[in-house]
Amino acid sequence: MVEEHGNVAPIMIPKGKEIGKVRIDVPYQVVTVLANLYPWLSKGKIAVVTRRCDEKAFAEYFKRDLMDKSRIVMIGLACGKDQIARCRCTDPVPSKVHLGEPNKGVEKDDLAEKLGKMPPAERLDFWVAQYRKCNKCFGCTITCPVCFCDDCVLEDRTFVAEKGIPPGMAFHMVRTMHMADKCIECGECERACPAEIPLLTMRKMLAKDMKELYNFTSGDEKIVSPLNTTLDGEPMEDECHEC
Amino acid sequence: MSVDHVLTTCPYCGTGCNFFLQVVDNRLVGIVPCKTDEISLGRLCVKGYNAHAFVHHPDRLKHPLVKDGGHMRQASWDEAYDKIVAEIKRIRDKHGPDSVIVLASAKCTNEENYLFQKLARAAIGTNNVDHCARLCHASTVTGLLTSFGSGAMTNTIPEFGDADCVLVTGSNTLEAHPLIGARIMHAMDKGAKVIVVDPRDTPLSRIAFLSLSQKPGTDIAWINGMINVIVQEGLVDDDFVKARTTDFDKVKDLVRAYTPGKVEEITGIPKEKLMAAARAYATSPKAMIAYAMGVTQHSNGTNIVKALANLAMVAGHLGKESTGVNPLRGQCNVQGACDAGGLPNLYPGYQRVDDPAAKDKFEKAWGVALQDKPGRTLTCAMKDAMIGKIKAMVIFGENVMLSDPDLTHVEQALKELEFLAVADIFMSETAQMADVVLPAACYAEKEGTFTNTDRAVRLLRKAVDAPGEARPDWQIACELGRRLGSKGFDFSSPSEIMDEMANLTPIYGGISFDRIDKELLRWPCPAKDHPGTRILHTQKFTKGLGTFSPVEHAPPAEVPSEEYPLILTTGRNLFHYHTGTMTRRSPMLERLSPEPYVEVNNSDAKAHGISEDDRVSVSTRRGTITLKARVTDRIIPGSIFIPFHYAEAPANRLTNAALDPIANIPELKVCAAKIEKA
Repeated sequence: MVEEHGNVAPIMIPKGKEIGKVRIDVPYQVVTVLANLYPWLSKGKIAVVTRRCDEKAFAEYFKRDLMDKSRIVMIGLACGKDQIARCRCTDPVPSKVHLGEPNKGVEKDDLAEKLGKMPPAERLDFWVAQYRKCNKCFGCTITCPVCFCDDCVLEDRTFVAEKGIPPGMAFHMVRTMHMADKCIECGECERACPAEIPLLTMRKMLAKDMKELYNFTSGDEKIVSPLNTTLDGEPMEDECHEC
Repeated sequence: MSVDHVLTTCPYCGTGCNFFLQVVDNRLVGIVPCKTDEISLGRLCVKGYNAHAFVHHPDRLKHPLVKDGGHMRQASWDEAYDKIVAEIKRIRDKHGPDSVIVLASAKCTNEENYLFQKLARAAIGTNNVDHCARLCHASTVTGLLTSFGSGAMTNTIPEFGDADCVLVTGSNTLEAHPLIGARIMHAMDKGAKVIVVDPRDTPLSRIAFLSLSQKPGTDIAWINGMINVIVQEGLVDDDFVKARTTDFDKVKDLVRAYTPGKVEEITGIPKEKLMAAARAYATSPKAMIAYAMGVTQHSNGTNIVKALANLAMVAGHLGKESTGVNPLRGQCNVQGACDAGGLPNLYPGYQRVDDPAAKDKFEKAWGVALQDKPGRTLTCAMKDAMIGKIKAMVIFGENVMLSDPDLTHVEQALKELEFLAVADIFMSETAQMADVVLPAACYAEKEGTFTNTDRAVRLLRKAVDAPGEARPDWQIACELGRRLGSKGFDFSSPSEIMDEMANLTPIYGGISFDRIDKELLRWPCPAKDHPGTRILHTQKFTKGLGTFSPVEHAPPAEVPSEEYPLILTTGRNLFHYHTGTMTRRSPMLERLSPEPYVEVNNSDAKAHGISEDDRVSVSTRRGTITLKARVTDRIIPGSIFIPFHYAEAPANRLTNAALDPIANIPELKVCAAKIEKA
């Protein structure tokens, strides 16, 4: 990220060129930014300033052979305390720190705790009210670093009728479940949401279930998605690399 | 290989979000929201996220075209320019300069619009210059100029987030201005009372504190009714009214007849709801009014705008943080096209053409004699073309063959012309009728500025080259000006054009590309060291005292009859923009909303034996279109709604060209219609 035109901009520069005034305090999701560019960058290595969440997002790409690991060089960035607090991040330190001082993550998401204690009907009411604010911008999908299907299930009329705004609960539930084995809890969906729906809290609650039910954690190349394996341990035929 | 992230301004609605275009080797590959942008806060709507998608479309116009024996053929720029200049000269010499009109464009930059009006006024010699603001907010300009002295949003977009009450009327904010709608939701999350008055159920009205459905065309009745409740219940801000305004007594007397009972009779709004809305608006410390074309597109649009201004003044909600009367402008640069003088009666910066001092200033600056008679409006020009008073039209980036009311009439008018030239990025329905078509560069291919709805002047930065031989409109206007033998068209960059405009336009006096490259500046910005103005009318109104205008309810030009029992109203949806030339060539947007439809209330559908997805034909006195029915409770019984984006079922075949007498805006929001199973 660099400062230009009075704003902070993502930047990709060729080797040997002057960088400009670097800023690391604005949380652009660099994997999302790179994923748009990647199909056009046919050769050479790409160095990326990588937060812990970016590192986990890369793992989801490498795991599915969607990016060539040997081309990515990670420059680890440890997030500052303010950023950690804003993201309610539990896991903020990259495996190798090149920039910044490592800080401890936060223990809990206050809203998730509060919702967890609510009776289910009340909790449902909360989410129904939140999702009624949705204006179908697809920002949660477009800015998501690990949303990489070619055909988006949210555009499929079987699940989501074209007509309505707000789009109805199916839209959100399909997305919530579809991302269950990929989401790395970076919070970009929540930051991108014009309606400020607490999407990161929903993700954190689901991640907790994935851990408890399947002992699954995303963002680790070695852990295969439980949604991708057959019950008797046999490999699936025609395995889809996108989900 | 080169990779760039180019910060620029969205080409769709008037919110003016900034984002980065991702460019790989002169090709747009994606969009990244700008997280530090004060307007968008790093968020976009679905149109914004797809704003790169049409730019490299194979349908883009790449070469000038000339009509030859009824067919279009490719031509050189020289041939195309020569033909336009020869025809304009011929027609001007034979019929006088007022037989020619230039249509400026709310999708072009301020600099380009400045040149378009200069081309008409200085090079051709006529004040005949207008653009599609005539169809959207002409009545805002006339109405608010009378009430306050300035026809723009009084406050700014970020202030919506801090309001205690937002009264939204005639605006489907979440679909048409999504990021402004989002701000209103932020206020709502903090406890603000949002009141929506609209004949349609909109995404915002469904989550609002109060939702009032009026019959289309009855706005003055409910606004006067609210003022009456405020007066009767002693909620008038007396200090404000006394110190800052004039003529309150006239309005006070007039609204007495608009009792809640009578208003209910006229509008269908239950009296308890009207009273609750009036109380909520008047008693909230910080209350904003936001409105759009549901207010302006009426044959008494100017009066409805004045009525809203009365309401804000009665309650004293003006000149302070999170208050004001806020017209939401619909196109990326419709505010700027008005600011830059793309209007037949106004020079840049709302200086009147019939004001001798203003005329003198522009005559000196441009070195030519100018006319002091206001020119023809877009809507009148169509009528004049029919009777042979307008002979030639030069259209920059407007698609009148879909956007204007009563298209059958528009088509006849264009056919009557001796000469029509169109500059556009695609072969629009209008360009197909032209004698010469010029290929223009789009927003991503040029430099310039857009002025958004809250008066912020925002930069466009060039990201990619235009396709083929396409050129930016400012270069086209310069070349036409030079070839018409006029001086003052030798600009080498948009920045130079802005410098000239700023020099002649006091409200833009302090604007320069250098400054807005780094700062967000809102006009009025009269000097190089002036920080710009967020809130208008803080100490006094632009005109001095605010003027209360007594306005009476009047029925729409066309009311339902036995043959045409329904009220047709038109508008936009979330996924498309205007005549769809750009959004309908964006794959994701087209997948999300692929076909035209008419919204029909459940009870009306039942009465006509219509079910969801049936093909139906909708007719008015002017024409018939066939499209799919959407049966819904989102529109009140007796009314139907059609979005105007779709060329295959153009809503404007049906609409009424009845005009507001002051603003000349057509009544696009109300006409009598019938519906039948096709």
